[in-house]
Amino acid sequence: MNPKKPLRYSLTGMLVALTLILSACGAPADVPPGELTGSLSVLDWAGYDAEDFWIDFKNTYPNVTVNFEIGISDADIYAKMAAGNQADIFHPYTGWLQFYVDEGLVEEIDTSKLANWDKVPEHFKKIGQFNGKQYFIPWDWGFSSVLYRTDMIPEGVDSWDALLDPAYAGHISMWDDGPAAVTVSSYIHGYDETAITADQLATIKEEWIAQRDSNLFYWAGEPELVEGMTSGSIWAGYAWQGAYATLLANSIPVAYANPKEGRNSWVGVYGIRKGTENLDLALKFLDAKLAEATGNNVVNLFYYGHSNQDVMNGITDATLKEAFSIDDPGILETTNFTPNLTAEQRDAWTAMWAEVKAAP
Amino acid sequence: MDRRATFWVLYLPPLLLLGAFFLIPLLLMFVYSFRADMHGSFFQLWQPSLNQYTKLISTGSYWRLLGVSSLMALVISISAVVLSYPIAYFIAFYGRQRAGFYLVLLLVPFWTSYLLRVMAWKIMLGTEGVINSFLLYINLIQEPLTALLYNRNAVMLTLIYVWIPVATLPILAALQRIDIALFEAAADLGARPIHQFLRITLPLSLPGVLAAFFMVFIPTVGEYVTPLLVGGSRGSMYGNIIQDFFTKAANWPFGSAMSMVMLAGTLILVAIAVRLINVRDLLE
Repeated sequence: MNPKKPLRYSLTGMLVALTLILSACGAPADVPPGELTGSLSVLDWAGYDAEDFWIDFKNTYPNVTVNFEIGISDADIYAKMAAGNQADIFHPYTGWLQFYVDEGLVEEIDTSKLANWDKVPEHFKKIGQFNGKQYFIPWDWGFSSVLYRTDMIPEGVDSWDALLDPAYAGHISMWDDGPAAVTVSSYIHGYDETAITADQLATIKEEWIAQRDSNLFYWAGEPELVEGMTSGSIWAGYAWQGAYATLLANSIPVAYANPKEGRNSWVGVYGIRKGTENLDLALKFLDAKLAEATGNNVVNLFYYGHSNQDVMNGITDATLKEAFSIDDPGILETTNFTPNLTAEQRDAWTAMWAEVKAAP
Repeated sequence: MDRRATFWVLYLPPLLLLGAFFLIPLLLMFVYSFRADMHGSFFQLWQPSLNQYTKLISTGSYWRLLGVSSLMALVISISAVVLSYPIAYFIAFYGRQRAGFYLVLLLVPFWTSYLLRVMAWKIMLGTEGVINSFLLYINLIQEPLTALLYNRNAVMLTLIYVWIPVATLPILAALQRIDIALFEAAADLGARPIHQFLRITLPLSLPGVLAAFFMVFIPTVGEYVTPLLVGGSRGSMYGNIIQDFFTKAANWPFGSAMSMVMLAGTLILVAIAVRLINVRDLLE
């Protein structure tokens, strides 16, 4: 018999009880938002680190430090997360979401903790769902199409094949992205984008190798394209509607094509790293990302759409309405939404693009 | 402090830095090049595979681009050295009290960012740039020349400019080491200036010339920033494709294999050059 045992049991019991009482009294959830402290790490794109794009969180939780790391592409963000980056939150785009789920890199999101979740339309919510679980919250969205100078191409553009048209040789700028090139060719030739065969990929490669004679430069960031179109050296380019709105606002004569093959549409989402120790804070950050002031800044400063429908319903500016085709109810019916890539497609399509750039 | 202690105090910090931030990443890249794909976490064990090297060997366009990039690096290195030599010669032999001032002038470009210097060339060569505007102003052309920018010539022109100050420094150091008495002796023996240059100055400055050449050649083979900014659709170099596999394709194993091939290729070229030129004789 050990005479000390009862005392040890009673001490343990007291400690457990004390812990329970302290947890009940001082749980982080009860801390007023203004007094909540901590830090969050976000892997995001350049520009989105500006406070304008997380202003609701900043205002609600002024004592939480948010550190940003910048990714330069979807591939870069994915590779960083796969390599063990410790960011709590990351910002990929449609086409690249399945990998995070397959590789177990993303945490399931408890949407009951997001006060603004009801403002997100169902079709947007579905984009972040895999295997019946919500892994991502949709945030920004937009179109991709052909942007062109109406003074240089007065006949207008009604097809994606304008990007390959020798008539505009030396005045075309394609986005520096293999999957985008495959998408454009698929639209033009009527290929099933989700099931490109080896022969079709070979055709696409030859097509884009030939296109280099017409292409002045591949743009990597939207400002490069905007600069080229402003100076008049670029007449037609693959573009997101942010570039269109920027040029319109600067009174440059441009139009955003409604190709007969349909526009492309993309959605940016936020995910939480699997195993993060800052899950509660991360959820608060995502909820604030869906809030109205942040959403309005996305629309008004970057000219992209926001997943909060109240934000989109509040748009009155004519330029923005034009950029989002808000007054064209049929636009979404003819829009091609970006499908998720498989790892094999990603490797094959990006290798194809590298060979296009390396070709003699 | 004894000699051994001095050695470690002076050498250990840079050795540690070099090991941590150059050799270990290089080793990781070497190991990664034997990974079959990106599946799985970064540090998990995997079955070594030659997949990436097999794919690389079977893709002719990458080899051709490596050849083109090496050739471009050769032209850029020779041009930068040839253009740097007169500058170094002037500072070494005619700079006198102002030599320090001229040296500072030479180094002024280093005070601005590399990116800004390359962007400045974009402004010079663009359709609305300085050269086109001038040619239009004097009515020599009616339409802006588009051939000035977004091609390999623009890449080479920009890189030659960027490297000139770098190439000048080792040549200048070699020239400053030449004993002036040698020129006086040569003159006393009737050697004309051109002969003095060919028989004394040039041979004695060759170690600096070679150092300058390799300082330009080696980084230029893998250059990717300048081609990205002024190269356009047809101006890509081998380094751009490596960068694409890391940042646009999420294919680190293939990017690593390409990097290893470039590293091996550059080392082989340097070894051949060193063997042909017989550096030891030159240094002696």
